Amino acid sequence: MSRASRGGMSRNAGSDIKAAYLFIAPAIIGFTVFVVYPLVRSFYLALTKYNGLTDPIFVGLGNFRRLFTVDPAFWPSLRATGYLVVLYVPLSLILGLALAMFCNQRFAGVRVVRTLAYLPVVLPAIATITLWKFILDPQVGLLNAVLDRLGLPTSLWLQSPSMSMPAVVLVMLWGVGGTMIIFLAALQAVPNELYEAARVDGAGSWSVFFRITMPMISPIMLLQVILQTTAALQTFNQPKILTNGAPGFSTNVLMLSIYKNGFPNLGQIPQLGYASAQVWVLFVLIIAVIALTAKFSSLWTYSDNTPD
Amino acid sequence: MTTLPTEAAEGTVLTAQTARSPKKPRLIGTTSWYVVALFISAVMVVPLLWMITIGLKSRTAVFDLPPKLLPHEFTWSNFVNGPEAIHFPRLLLNSTIITALSVLGGVMTAMMAGYALARLRFPGRKVWFYLFVGSMLLPGVVGLIPLFQLYKSIGWYDTWLPLIVPAFLGGNPLFIFLARQYFLAIPYSIDEAAKIDGAGHFRIFTSVMLPLTRPAWITMAILAFQASWNDFLNPLVYLYSSNKWPLSVGMASFISPFAGKTPDWSYYMATNLLYMLPPLIVFFAAQRYFIQGLGSLGSTTQK
Repeated sequence: MSRASRGGMSRNAGSDIKAAYLFIAPAIIGFTVFVVYPLVRSFYLALTKYNGLTDPIFVGLGNFRRLFTVDPAFWPSLRATGYLVVLYVPLSLILGLALAMFCNQRFAGVRVVRTLAYLPVVLPAIATITLWKFILDPQVGLLNAVLDRLGLPTSLWLQSPSMSMPAVVLVMLWGVGGTMIIFLAALQAVPNELYEAARVDGAGSWSVFFRITMPMISPIMLLQVILQTTAALQTFNQPKILTNGAPGFSTNVLMLSIYKNGFPNLGQIPQLGYASAQVWVLFVLIIAVIALTAKFSSLWTYSDNTPD
Repeated sequence: MTTLPTEAAEGTVLTAQTARSPKKPRLIGTTSWYVVALFISAVMVVPLLWMITIGLKSRTAVFDLPPKLLPHEFTWSNFVNGPEAIHFPRLLLNSTIITALSVLGGVMTAMMAGYALARLRFPGRKVWFYLFVGSMLLPGVVGLIPLFQLYKSIGWYDTWLPLIVPAFLGGNPLFIFLARQYFLAIPYSIDEAAKIDGAGHFRIFTSVMLPLTRPAWITMAILAFQASWNDFLNPLVYLYSSNKWPLSVGMASFISPFAGKTPDWSYYMATNLLYMLPPLIVFFAAQRYFIQGLGSLGSTTQK
């Protein structure tokens, strides 16, 4: 662009602006169509009765009233979602960190273990979930066969109202390698001098862990808590394929309930307004988790910037 | 950038296995480490090996009681008949087209946006950056119903467009964020030099920036590949005709019980192995970038 260089500062800035908007135009259009529009539209739909064919009918907070007071499936779906989060997130963080610390040591073959632990994350989610559906089969599945041979109690797993959710979480935990790899990056960023100094001072393994490792990786821990919780709140694939919400409502998480209301089987009327109201309940839950975690993060995360 | 897992560990791990390192104290003894390592490896590998044995069993042997770990006779034909019954070639072609286009679109538009946000001065630069980053927090499900109706009204329902077009419109804000971070790290003297040589922004972007940011867009391409190849909810909602389905929906529908028919597990597992192969190949070919991509997520918050 010879003209830009000839035109001095202001001309140059002008061409920058034009170029910049050309470069981000796709992202801006995308932001408008796929973020702003759905956000506004979905909020409006949450306040309507809408079957997708005729015009939406405004019902105010009617959908929310029905959710919280009438619908027999809503509270169980909220409970199932909460149970999943409470079971999955701590286990995923603890196992992920333990695995990362295990793989952060110097042993021949540690790379193989690390690769194998990460392998399930690489495989298509649907492929692994369906595989586990068969592993968890009470009669012909691998898990009960192994437990039986070891003399351990077997279970109906996905067919048992009490074990179905733990089984779903077990399948999710097979992908704990994803959490591991992020903790591993965090662990390897901890300066070795800190460990050496602690060693010189005669600190034991536990105090090294709680006074050096944990504070140093706490920002990553915070990020992980937020990401994992918001992802767990939106779990869909596992319950959809493994149980479709059964038995009873034991695994009928919020996302599955939204899907069933909004996109029901042929012959049933879609309740898009009602499903949108559920979406907003989920959305508010997610915002609340992020806000609360961020608010209380200063209590347990370490930062080397002095707070203002 | 912080140290990435592979680079730090790879060289040292294999050579210095016996020397007690002053850097990283061992938490447990060698024997117990290997016992745990064996257990972890078994948990990860045994389900996959079992999948292969199911794929090799005959249709009825799958239901033998008690279940046997190894097949009596190897039914290799499952690897031909299974994919045929599931229409695997068709699904594979669909998945390949959808994934290739959404990887291309996602990486391209994120790189462009990242370039503008990092290296060009324009009013609204900060605002757009925060808006894009903020939209990462928006759960995807919020868009599901309004976009479903939108696609329906413009005739995109039951086409691949809802799975592809969003990628070409900056679909993944995480990519925009990553691209910007990479672009910020490149010295500005390079642009200056290119500008003096008479290169415009398009030239600088394509022939100077793209080669310099290769690790960034390879990482993004891998993440985009995984996201699209694994996507289940979107094609489930937006595609009705089974001949347009990608692998995720096609595979899942084969084993969903309907009309009281028990799914054919040996066919399924044989095909499942084929379904896993493309991501596996990508993983082993570009392992470094997989780890880097996730590591960069961690390191961005750790300054």
